[in-house]
This record gives sequence, structure tokens and C-alpha cells, in this order.
Amino acid sequence: MAIRVGENDMDIYSRMKLYDWYDIKKVKNKKILVAGAGALGNEVSKNLILSGYENITIVDMDYIVHSNLSRCIFFKRKDANLHRKKAEVIAERLVEINPDAKIRYYVDKIESLDVKNYDIVLGCLDNIASRLYLNSNCYFYHIPYIDGATHGLIGKVQVVIPPETSCLQCGMNATHSKFLEKRFSCTGKNVKYFEPNMPSDINTTSIIAAIQVQEALKITHGMKNYIKNIFYYDGNRNFFSILQLPINPKCPNHNK
Amino acid sequence: MKISVKDAETGNRISMEVDDDNTIEEIIEEAANYWRKNPGAYVIRFGKKILQAENTVKEARLQEEDVIELIPDPEGGKCFQKICL
Repeated sequence: MAIRVGENDMDIYSRMKLYDWYDIKKVKNKKILVAGAGALGNEVSKNLILSGYENITIVDMDYIVHSNLSRCIFFKRKDANLHRKKAEVIAERLVEINPDAKIRYYVDKIESLDVKNYDIVLGCLDNIASRLYLNSNCYFYHIPYIDGATHGLIGKVQVVIPPETSCLQCGMNATHSKFLEKRFSCTGKNVKYFEPNMPSDINTTSIIAAIQVQEALKITHGMKNYIKNIFYYDGNRNFFSILQLPINPKCPNHNK
Repeated sequence: MKISVKDAETGNRISMEVDDDNTIEEIIEEAANYWRKNPGAYVIRFGKKILQAENTVKEARLQEEDVIELIPDPEGGKCFQKICL
């Protein structure tokens, strides 16, 4: 059989296929849910589509504003002018990168989606309540959950593989609960909002998102060398660490 | 017994007198209040381990002169965060 000069360069994933573990069929067929279409959601979506994932669902209820543009690769000024929905715009731009991809989006709360329809869930959220919702549902249905989070130059990725590993709930304490209560009070009147003094930073966001997608690739290929349990990055002190979080026997997700 | 608690964000360190039955949760709250930390979630790191809040000092196997670290537990990720007070 003859080969054509330059033929290899016609295959988008030819370089990825050089990894002996990379299986494009496995990657294409995985149903991925990206929860949150902000800074992390943008970076995670970009890395997913470039890694070969073609079956991606994005959920977010927010619309785009100009302050998003310094941290979100897929958002443009015209999107902010029109207050377009974040999930819709990311979905549109992903298809521009890979027209074969089946990208779905929902402009809704994460709680409105049924996580059991997905193979891997990537959390790109900004609040504890939604994280705990995804965490417990993924744990119940035994779906791998890869949670990303940032705080200024600090970020973390927690890999939850039910029932083998601990989950987000296992690491919670009273400081999380206080934060949670404050968000829940948003339903009342006389509500005050403030922009936190630690906005997400694109560089930290890129690092965290890249680790999330890398872990998704490992899980997709059935590799066991996924992070156990937390990748913790501190850009202020120039270090990262893998931190163990043992299963908490009192955690409601492990008591079922 | 006396242990040291380090603030990961500032590098500051305090000495804390704890009993075997004190919980990690109590240490987190005490340290966060002492340093008047911003509202947010924090956890205690001891070496390569996150200590569980419900565990006591004894269960966590902390010993005299051990150094533990209060680290922020990031909860952000979106670029337009609204937090309710």
C-alpha cells in the first residue's frame, strides 16, 4: 500500500496518536459534561476539543459581560455587547474548531441536568452548593467527577472516582458551611453582592483546566495513575503538591 | 500540647495549645478568626494530607511541635463571581 507525502499532516490527531496509550475512538465516544462556562469552563472546553473529545455538553445560566473577556478565550466583545449566553457561545466556537463534534449546551442551572447521562463530569463552578450537588450525584451514579477551582493564584483539582476515592464532601468543614449558607440566603430580599477580592486569574485557570482535562484523558483510557486525591497549586509560593484526602466514614456519600 | 499553625497565604505562624480531644474544625476556626481571614473556605494540611475536620488532634496523630498549615480551599472558577453577604 502506497502512502502519500504529507498524508500524516492531514490527520488532526496524528500527533496525539503517537502516544501509545491514546485511543481516538475512546476519546471521541466519551460523553463529557462541562459544568460552568466561565474562565475554567472556557479553558477546559478548549483543551477537551483539542484533545479529541467530540461529545461535549456545556451547562451554564450566565451571560457574557466585558469583564469576562480577559479570561475567556472563546468570548468576544460582540458577545458581551449582546449579553449572549456563555454556554451557547462556547458550544458555537467549539464546533468552529471541530465541525464533526456533537456539542450540546443548556442555559440552565446545573441542578436541572441528569448527570447519569454522562461518562465524565468536569466541574468548573464558582460555588460550593453546585459542587456538592454534582459531587453527590456523580458519586451515586459512579461517574468520575473532576472538580477544578481557583482563588487568585491558588488552584486545585480534585479527582473523585466513586467508589474508590474520597469525595468533595469528605473534606468539608464549618468554613465551607458558612460560605454555603451565605449563598443560600441569596433568595431573600435586601441581598447584597460584592465582587470578591480574589478574581480568577487566567494563568492559574489555564493550569487548573489543563490538569482537569489531563485527568479526564487518563480516566477515559482506564489508567490508574490519576491524581489521588487533590492537585494543589500555589502560584504565590511557586509550588504544587499532591494532597491526600482519606474517605471520611461519616460522609453521607460513603454511608449509603 | 503545643503545635504550630502556619498561614499559607502570609507565611505567619502561631503557636497553639491544643488538647487531644480538640477537633481539626476547632483549630481551623481558631486560626481563621485569629488572622481575621476573609470569608471563604479553609482546610488544614499536615504534610501531604488534608486533615478531616471532624477528627480530633489524637485521631489526626498530631504531636508536640508539629507544624500544620491553614490553606485556602479554592471555590472559584467562573470569571464573574457573585457572592451574597
